[in-house]
Amino acid sequence: MKEISRRKALKVILAGSTAIAATPLLAACQRAAEDLTQGSSPSITNTPFGAVTDTPVAETPGDSTEVPATLPDLVVARNAEPESLVQAALTAIGGMERFVPRGGWVIIKPNICTCYYPYEYATTTNPWVVGALVKLCFEAGAGKVQVMDYPFGGSADQAYQSSGIGEQVEANGGEMVQMAYFKFKEVKIENALGLRSAEIYEDVFSADTVIDVPIAKHHGMSRLTLGMKNLMGLITNREQIHRDFGNRLTDLATKIRPKLTVVDAVRILTDNGPTGGNLADVKKLDTLIVSPDIVAADSYAATLFGLQPEDLDYIRVGAKSGLGRSDLGGLNIREINLAG
Amino acid sequence: MRGKAFNWSQLRKSVQLLFLVLWLVLWTTTASITWGVAAARLPVELSPLLALAQAIASRTLTVGMLLSLAIIGLTLVIGRAWCGWVCPIGTLLDFFPFRSRIKARKPISDSWRAGKYLILTAILLAALFGNLTLILLDPITLWVRIMTGGIGPALNTAFTGFERLLSNIPWMNSTLMWLDQALRPEIFPLGVVGARYVWLPTLILIGMIALNILAERFWCRYLCPLGGLLGLISRIALFKRKVDGDCLACTRCESACPTGTIDPDRGYASDPAECTLCMDCLRSCPTSHIKFSPDWRPSGKMVYDPGRRQVLLTGAITLTGLAVLETKPAEGKGSNFLLRPPGAENEDLLSKCVRCGLCMRTCPTGALQTSISESGLEGVFTPAFIPRTGYCLYTCNQCGSICPVQAILPLSLEEKHAWVIGEAFIDENRCIPWADGTTCIVCEEMCPLPEKAITLEDRAIINPDGSTFTLKLPHVNRNKCIGCGICEYKCPRSGESAIRVHRI
Repeated sequence: MKEISRRKALKVILAGSTAIAATPLLAACQRAAEDLTQGSSPSITNTPFGAVTDTPVAETPGDSTEVPATLPDLVVARNAEPESLVQAALTAIGGMERFVPRGGWVIIKPNICTCYYPYEYATTTNPWVVGALVKLCFEAGAGKVQVMDYPFGGSADQAYQSSGIGEQVEANGGEMVQMAYFKFKEVKIENALGLRSAEIYEDVFSADTVIDVPIAKHHGMSRLTLGMKNLMGLITNREQIHRDFGNRLTDLATKIRPKLTVVDAVRILTDNGPTGGNLADVKKLDTLIVSPDIVAADSYAATLFGLQPEDLDYIRVGAKSGLGRSDLGGLNIREINLAG
Repeated sequence: MRGKAFNWSQLRKSVQLLFLVLWLVLWTTTASITWGVAAARLPVELSPLLALAQAIASRTLTVGMLLSLAIIGLTLVIGRAWCGWVCPIGTLLDFFPFRSRIKARKPISDSWRAGKYLILTAILLAALFGNLTLILLDPITLWVRIMTGGIGPALNTAFTGFERLLSNIPWMNSTLMWLDQALRPEIFPLGVVGARYVWLPTLILIGMIALNILAERFWCRYLCPLGGLLGLISRIALFKRKVDGDCLACTRCESACPTGTIDPDRGYASDPAECTLCMDCLRSCPTSHIKFSPDWRPSGKMVYDPGRRQVLLTGAITLTGLAVLETKPAEGKGSNFLLRPPGAENEDLLSKCVRCGLCMRTCPTGALQTSISESGLEGVFTPAFIPRTGYCLYTCNQCGSICPVQAILPLSLEEKHAWVIGEAFIDENRCIPWADGTTCIVCEEMCPLPEKAITLEDRAIINPDGSTFTLKLPHVNRNKCIGCGICEYKCPRSGESAIRVHRI
């Protein structure tokens, strides 16, 4: 009886200390394994984003020739409840079916940057916008709809709750995912303007569709945080992006390619962003911008703040490098007013 | 043989195991306060030693700590049953009896038993002078400490490594994701992966176990100050162990006793101050001459009880020690970077904090860490806020709400938002825009205040080739900064941050 307990105890100690001692070893194994995967199958990191689909999709503006000419490049819906804005804008852009393959895996990336404030403060994406998108994805036949962000203030858990997004997503059958740190894998970026590699959440390369759903708000350096900047929630070495911002953000956006960008401008934050906290800085616009072209979506959103697309570094670089278009005058823009 | 009598030992072991699970669950759920503040505080509130010493040192009575009267009541009826049945440290030590090793040795002199009373004396005397440094020897404090500062982070690290390894196996992916979502953040909070001084509580645990090689439950017999306090109370406990005159003197109970208090020279009687009511002697007795029965008379003095001289010597050592600890320069006591949790003032904290470490377990970002170098020997194990390991989350006040002794005040969020922990200062020799002339606004971006305490100054820079660009230079607004430290935490300058929160 006694001897058994001692033996058991020794086993526990042995197992515990082995586990602790093995950690550096495990880390080394992991590095070795990473080298292996990168060495043997470069296709994992090099696969163009979202290539695995058979539905007609406008992935990049270059593909826009394949899209029926009647479909607009960008849709702006105004003056209604968030759900109605989403419904109307998506219908006008060609329906969610255009972006989501039947049975497909969708990742929706709202801006849930902190757990500080509820949605009224316009620091996180409007929960009903996200909820309505989840619903439309399922109606379009999506098999799995996951919503995620990696907050810089507070845990994902807390931020999903405080933003109200968790509740709306789950009410519509979607899944809130706490991004696991071990899924951020280093990815090389070819022909980079400044960012040669980034640790990117690997699921965005496995999913069929990524939908980028930023809230339009003020930012101290880039002036505004919109669709392109919202992609920073999918990487870990974010602080590195802040140097040489326009180039590096464009590099990131060429690697992570959302099929659809939905800019939430139901409420916009005009100052003290991106963290916010002052209702006096919030402006209610009841507006939603939808486009398969991330640069175009950001360009239009800039005008809501009285800025020109060229005023923003990353839009300038993004347009110049062919990531998307910022010439709003040359785009086929459909404006929908739902008032009255 | 009458061995078929009720198996008390088995019952005790089951109860001990049950309590150990309960202690573990209470500790685990403290991270996210899953079961509420009361459950998280419960372990600390049960220790009469923490209650007594803390009340003396802080000159205040904390209502919650009166819960420890329940343990005093229990001891008044059945003696040190706490030690034998409930205490997590006692249960852990019971896993390592090392009996065969002990048999080969000369037994330790009984005079060592005075040790726990002398430590108790030192703690209470120091408390009289407002010092609580030695309170870290309380077994509950040690338990929470060892888990929070040692075993917990080590297991967390192991789990993290395990996850990283398995994440390379594609078909394990969904299982791993499920495991990760299930265990984080409640059981393995991400914020405390990088805990400091993990080796210290771990070494303490290993040391306590190693002492078991010298004598079974060495810690409980000779050192534990809570054991000493409960031992004193046990002398007047109602139920006491009795051996009647027909004892066969077979010595079985003597060798079965884990605290070695059964004395053949006194007719196999025991000292109630040492007996943990483990009931192993009942089980070992071939007859039924051992009874635990009511007896109103207090037990007599033992030869090893500390004498006047020992107590006086302990007092003198304690006072000398206090004088040494308190001797420091009048100005600039402690480090410039000794930051305390929001709601704690440094001087107050030292005489209020029972060093339990619950605040560190519940801090979601790993901002609260064991302080050793920052606060000196006097403040060993008190919580320090180390912004480079974690920032103080703007909308969190968990440390204050959980502190069982209000060493960290239970601030409302409004109060917390106004509480100045320290002030951020930019080191212009290291700050990226100031020193390198390239863009970086991370500190400004991160500042959580509704009106940011860090502002950006636009400055036109003329390049050698004549072209100009606008550099944004961060400034800290002294009237706004509350020292939450997220700027220091996120500063991309490697090594020491280029913006640091200073004590003010």
